[in-house]
Amino acid sequence: MTTDEAPALGEGGAGQSKRPPFDTTVANQARIYDYLLGGKDNYEADRVATDAVLAVYPEMAFNAKANRSFLGRAVRFLTGEAGIRQFLDIGTGIPTAGNTHQVAQAVAQQSRVVYVDYDPIVLAHARALLTSQQAGSTQYIDADLRDTDTVLSRAHQLLDFTQPVAITLLAILHAIPDADDPYAIVAKLLDAVPPGSYLALSHIASDLLDAETQQSLTGVSDRMIQQDFTFRARDEVMRLFEGTDLVPPGLVRVEEWRPEPGPDDTAKSSLWVGVGRKR
Amino acid sequence: MNSVGPDSEQLLSGLEDSAGDAAVLRMRLGSQLRRLREAAGITPEQAGFEIRGSRSKISRLENGRVKLKSRDVTDLLTLYGVTDQGVRSKFLALVEQSNGPDWWGEYGDILPGWFETYLGLEAAASTIRSFELQFVHGLFQTADYARAVTRLGRRAASADEIERWVTLRLKRQELLSRPDPPNVWSVMDEAVLRRPVAGAAVMRAQYRHLIEVAELPHVTLQVIPFARGAHAGESGSFTVLRFEERDLPDVVYLEQLTNAVYLEQRTDVERYLEVVDEMSSQALTPDETTRLIEQIAREI
Repeated sequence: MTTDEAPALGEGGAGQSKRPPFDTTVANQARIYDYLLGGKDNYEADRVATDAVLAVYPEMAFNAKANRSFLGRAVRFLTGEAGIRQFLDIGTGIPTAGNTHQVAQAVAQQSRVVYVDYDPIVLAHARALLTSQQAGSTQYIDADLRDTDTVLSRAHQLLDFTQPVAITLLAILHAIPDADDPYAIVAKLLDAVPPGSYLALSHIASDLLDAETQQSLTGVSDRMIQQDFTFRARDEVMRLFEGTDLVPPGLVRVEEWRPEPGPDDTAKSSLWVGVGRKR
Repeated sequence: MNSVGPDSEQLLSGLEDSAGDAAVLRMRLGSQLRRLREAAGITPEQAGFEIRGSRSKISRLENGRVKLKSRDVTDLLTLYGVTDQGVRSKFLALVEQSNGPDWWGEYGDILPGWFETYLGLEAAASTIRSFELQFVHGLFQTADYARAVTRLGRRAASADEIERWVTLRLKRQELLSRPDPPNVWSVMDEAVLRRPVAGAAVMRAQYRHLIEVAELPHVTLQVIPFARGAHAGESGSFTVLRFEERDLPDVVYLEQLTNAVYLEQRTDVERYLEVVDEMSSQALTPDETTRLIEQIAREI
């Protein structure tokens, strides 16, 4: 059983929303990610674009898997050690194994998770498949991250903003170009939550990829993918954490963030990740 | 001895857990045979030749559509380089089990073969998505509603036969309460709710039942209200079955009056997925759907 917000069809009149239409003929990052993770909710256009991405950067498959496993480790840390019980998961993506509410509720059953996405297919799947046993503990907001006021005003109705909230922005901010000011967006989100709240994010790194690969990836995404691809350097990603203290080990490559014992993987990602606690 | 084959643990993992349901086990064994064949670098044609059959025989066998013969499996395991006797005999024991009676066995006299296939697939599915234009999905029908629908389709049937169909339908619904139930996600046209298939009391009970099942975390109901205008469901009702195994393709089930069509070519399946995805995003959300059903129940 779940509850959720009324759909905001045709909304976003603030001029900030860049909501994609329902369109399976153009590749889209949520479905590319699904394909990279071995999911079945992707279409021909997504697979063609993914193959083009992998042709110029084969490690993208490792990035996707490593990002997914970071979600698990970060949410376990936040629910466990950090004692967080409320999550605002922005850029939900297509449901797969180990979604935020499952990880959080496995540690603390009373954890509440609000999923935010702007993609109609993602939202439909989230409402159907990201559900909890407990009424009202998993909810959904249909909004574009750029429309930050809408995200926050809806989240205010669903979460208790006098208590700490963990905001997760995993593999989403690269889709927000500098022109849309991701720094202001993240600052606004952090402003709305009380001290002791957390920010967890992952971002594709300009300084972990050579210029030629970045250029080729940008080319593929311009030609074939609905969203942008903006690479950012470590110091730029660091700026997103302003007003927080990074928990150890700080801002690192995804595979270096509190790795859990498992089969040794020698692959190197190109993702910066970190978890910061709001001062 | 066996340097190419996968280790026995990997080969049999998960298979013994599914031993309860013959149809499910058949699909898992088939999918394991596909993995072995691919790992050995053998084409479906070559494998088909080995067991005196064709490429399509291998495909039916790997998709769990037909019962497995011990002789065929023995030959295939040899061809795929599985030489460990312990593994071979365990695999063959599971093949025997997969040929055991299906739960619907006692209804063999009323069940057409094409529907038995569906029952096997439904039991094996991890996600069942459907679009309904006319009737409530079979997994969500009350006995009275099911009786009314069954009578419509079988005017010549005896009262006893009708009752057996109804019992079979209710037995099918047990999959909703099994330990690891599939996700069942049904999108229906508002017409499904508005059409008085039976009297008001039966309809009211059916609405209550829908509201109840919608509370289950693995059940999602969505209605496309008339007010949303035309929708992409031009093809009529259909069901898409998805399986946990990564290499088992989705299957689209289209029921006709005297037969059924099963689509599993990626291009075909993808058209249906697109339609059901589009309709799920056009439809009322699950919560709004419950409110609409409550409203319709009050109006009737």
